[in-house]
Amino acid sequence: MSGETQTQTQTQTQAQSQSETEQGPLANWTQGVISDPDQRSLLYRALFYAITIFFLVTTLFPFYWLLVLALTPNNLILAGDWDLPFLRPQGFNPQAFVEVFEQIPFHLYVFNSFVLATMTTIIVIIIASLAGYVFGRLEFPGRGPLMLAILMVSYFPPAAFLIPLFEAFTGNPVVAPFIGVELFTPPRLVNTPGAMVLPFSALFLPLSIFILTTFYAQIPDGLEDAARVEGTTRLGALFRVIMPLSAPGVATAAVLTFIAVYNEYFFSSIMALGNEPQQWSPLVGGLLQYQSLYSTEFNLMAAASIVGVLPVVILVVVAQERIVSGLTAGALKE
Amino acid sequence: MSTDEQSSGPTRESRRSGPLVAITRWMENLGETGFAYLLLTPVFLLLGAIALYPLLRTFELSLYTNIIGTGGPEFVGFDHYVSLLTGESDQWLPGTSQFLWGDVTVDGAFPFVHVQGVFRSALAVTLIFAAVSVFFETLIGFGQALVLDQEFRGRSWVRVAIIIPWAIPIVIQGMIFYLMFHPSTGFATEFLANYGIVAQNNTLNDPASSLLIVTVADIWKTSAFMALLILAGLQSIDRSLYDVAKVAGASRWQQFRLITFPLILPTLGIAILFRTIDAMRIYGLIDSVSSCTVVPSLSCMVVATFGSQRGLASAIAFVTAIIIGIAVLGVIYQQYKEGL
Repeated sequence: MSGETQTQTQTQTQAQSQSETEQGPLANWTQGVISDPDQRSLLYRALFYAITIFFLVTTLFPFYWLLVLALTPNNLILAGDWDLPFLRPQGFNPQAFVEVFEQIPFHLYVFNSFVLATMTTIIVIIIASLAGYVFGRLEFPGRGPLMLAILMVSYFPPAAFLIPLFEAFTGNPVVAPFIGVELFTPPRLVNTPGAMVLPFSALFLPLSIFILTTFYAQIPDGLEDAARVEGTTRLGALFRVIMPLSAPGVATAAVLTFIAVYNEYFFSSIMALGNEPQQWSPLVGGLLQYQSLYSTEFNLMAAASIVGVLPVVILVVVAQERIVSGLTAGALKE
Repeated sequence: MSTDEQSSGPTRESRRSGPLVAITRWMENLGETGFAYLLLTPVFLLLGAIALYPLLRTFELSLYTNIIGTGGPEFVGFDHYVSLLTGESDQWLPGTSQFLWGDVTVDGAFPFVHVQGVFRSALAVTLIFAAVSVFFETLIGFGQALVLDQEFRGRSWVRVAIIIPWAIPIVIQGMIFYLMFHPSTGFATEFLANYGIVAQNNTLNDPASSLLIVTVADIWKTSAFMALLILAGLQSIDRSLYDVAKVAGASRWQQFRLITFPLILPTLGIAILFRTIDAMRIYGLIDSVSSCTVVPSLSCMVVATFGSQRGLASAIAFVTAIIIGIAVLGVIYQQYKEGL
């Protein structure tokens, strides 16, 4: 935006300076920018920093808003006297961060999220490793179409899977589509980790498969052959040689899967029927509980959000290289 | 299979026996294709059970009417799909939501085509949301990528700051914007309502305002994802091209227009398709900021109806899958062209 106005003023003053012999400071400066490369690069630099600061403010401001709300005592929030445009906490009330855990057992929800994310990550890494080995290192008929099919699955909306999965997870018999034959009656999975870990694993498996395929394909054949000569089986070579050598790739896939599960909303909010921590309801359930049951405790909602966001912020700061390379490799290279 | 191997086991060199050894030996003796499909079995099982089976079963269920609490399902063929198009099934949708938009009239008054109740239509809301959010995410993501492509001090910290919104849980993203616009807490309503951007009262129950808020929230969160994809494209551009351009006397704008933009275009196309597919699945953000009654999206309608009219919910789910499937075909075609 500021670039546009700059060029506008530039052209305007250019036209002026041609007609007038006397030049104002602005016209002088624009002349300098046009003719002098040093001055021009200074302008570019200033614009660049302005844009960078704009992006930083817009991405970080919402978090600042959470902090403001969490620290302001609730009665002052309801009074609603914000000193715009310089929003700041009205008062200082860190007690909210303790109360968050007292009002409802919020730590249990966070714990559930961690358990679900860890379970899913382990399952996904094991299955995706096998598939990544196959797609990255073996030549066999049907390789291309199979990869496309797996890619397709990851794009379908979870809503298209919801109804049959919900029926099966609530203990109704699984019926073969269009034939009407009852195959088996699954155990009642709702309110257990299984009802969430299974859909999560399927939804987030494809991304990990593509990341690991890229990494496993890069390990030289000689290393695998050497391991095989030593007497390991093919699977042994995968888990003892290829996987450790691709540790960065495995870490990338693991971090992305963990974040994806931690952030998931759709199945997390539906498969735990009552938003209770005993029903394995994750973070989503805890925050929705605040939104519906304690609908005026705004400082607690904000404090709970900050508590919930901290683990991923730490993960992003620690693993940013992995996230960046994983997202781009997973989405673009394959 | 393994019993066969066990019986032939003793003829082999290994002195150990037992089922584990037999299985290992059988696996080692498989051909490459056999081994490949064996290792893929868990993938097939998981995706078959959690994706393929539900998709087919959803289609089957959509052919039956199954109103919860009124006895067994009854076969109705494609009636649900027809009633979605004619608007007969809108009564089952929450609030005043519709599937298709209501009355479209064309006359001479600006803007010539008048559509009644666009923001009540699940299909229109989903498409509008996807188009608007992806458009702005692409623009902002491009800007962020250009910033991150420069060398400067503190670059990795700027990158962290830009990625963080992408990494936060949807429910917290929703909570932030819920708190910003809630009548009792939000500073933003008062501020923006003065300019007529959002409704003054009951902002989160006003369809147009809520859709705007949800869209902005999504742009805030997912621009970073676009930025990372575009950044990857930017960094794969051969730097010597810029040296040539400098020698030839090209300005920065010319460098961008003649080198950066054409070379980034394929990446941009894929990234936009990815995001569009993802945006059309919108559910959680709406549920946590506003409600499915106020901002109806396709996924929303599935969740809202599957507790009462399971057949209709399945039909909506299958239509959603088809619409997204069309976009997926675009991606597949791109990948195919590049020779997977």
